[in-house]
Amino acid sequence: MHKSDIDKEDREILSLLKDYPAAEPRAGFYDQALARATHEGTRRQRFRWLMTGFGSAVAAGIVLWMISGALLTAPDIPQPEATIPGIALTLEEPRTINLVFASKTALDAATLTVSLPEGIELAGFPGQREIAWQTSLVEGKNLLPLSLVALTPAGGEVLARLEHDNRNRTFRLQVEVG
Amino acid sequence: MSSEANKATFESIVRPHLDRLYRLAFRLTGHQAEAEDLFQELLIKAFGKLDDLVNIEEPGSWLARIMYNLFIDERRRYARRRLHTVEEGFLPGDGLEGLAGGEDPVRDNERLEKMQQLDLALAQLSDEHRVIVLLHDTEGYKLEEIHKLINVPIGTVKSRLHRARARLREILAASGTFF
Repeated sequence: MHKSDIDKEDREILSLLKDYPAAEPRAGFYDQALARATHEGTRRQRFRWLMTGFGSAVAAGIVLWMISGALLTAPDIPQPEATIPGIALTLEEPRTINLVFASKTALDAATLTVSLPEGIELAGFPGQREIAWQTSLVEGKNLLPLSLVALTPAGGEVLARLEHDNRNRTFRLQVEVG
Repeated sequence: MSSEANKATFESIVRPHLDRLYRLAFRLTGHQAEAEDLFQELLIKAFGKLDDLVNIEEPGSWLARIMYNLFIDERRRYARRRLHTVEEGFLPGDGLEGLAGGEDPVRDNERLEKMQQLDLALAQLSDEHRVIVLLHDTEGYKLEEIHKLINVPIGTVKSRLHRARARLREILAASGTFF
């Protein structure tokens, strides 16, 4: 075949490709997809609280905090300020600690901030002393798995600060390193 | 930020890119229903990453990369059924009339037949070749954009494009598409 024939075919293929049709989205599809995304995204975020980490829950430490209906007032037992739960880490050995927040009501768009003492890190966040994210709590138990690793033997307090609707409450976890 | 504010922020960021993302989904999957699934899954995933999304300089490119990765992860699920692409009634506009010019029915019919042959030929390409040729030659993506999207060296993008076109020519010639 001559080169001119190949060039002609290439031009025709490019012309066909240029006009190769694509389906148009159905009327209203974008709006539906956006609505589903925000609804489903919120639902999955809530579900993640409950389900993530349950597989390792048996072997992991579990710390239970109770949140009252009003979140920040009149806390149920145990009084977090009076009783500080504690866990032990082995130096440089990551350990998953499951924090359970038991809430009497669902809380949408709460902000959780985890503050770490010097020498304790959250796996996946090297060098960060404070990690914050937005989440939602369901009524009942909400599980938050934290994979902690001690880089020094100092230990200290891990703080979990939950904020919602201009109110906040801080939970404390004593970490010892053996 | 409240839940409603999150939704409004998300929509304001992604809406300008929806047309291009939908076309990408269609080019990747080759079928409307699967394109819709992929598109939907992208939006759900992106909403879950809203904290990242608000800080992205080029959200369109970022979203396209997530979509491509979703497609790769689940390419079996999005198994292509491209033969539907040029069926009458499925084309943009008014079916066959949307493709044909209408002024020269013989020539238009000939072009439609070639388009159907092209559709069959594309179905015979590997995913890697088909996606690159459609993004570059049909959607007008630049080589640099494809390189960033699929995360392969630009030289590889060029060679795949070259091989994909050569393979298309070979298949179409063998089918008697060129007279």
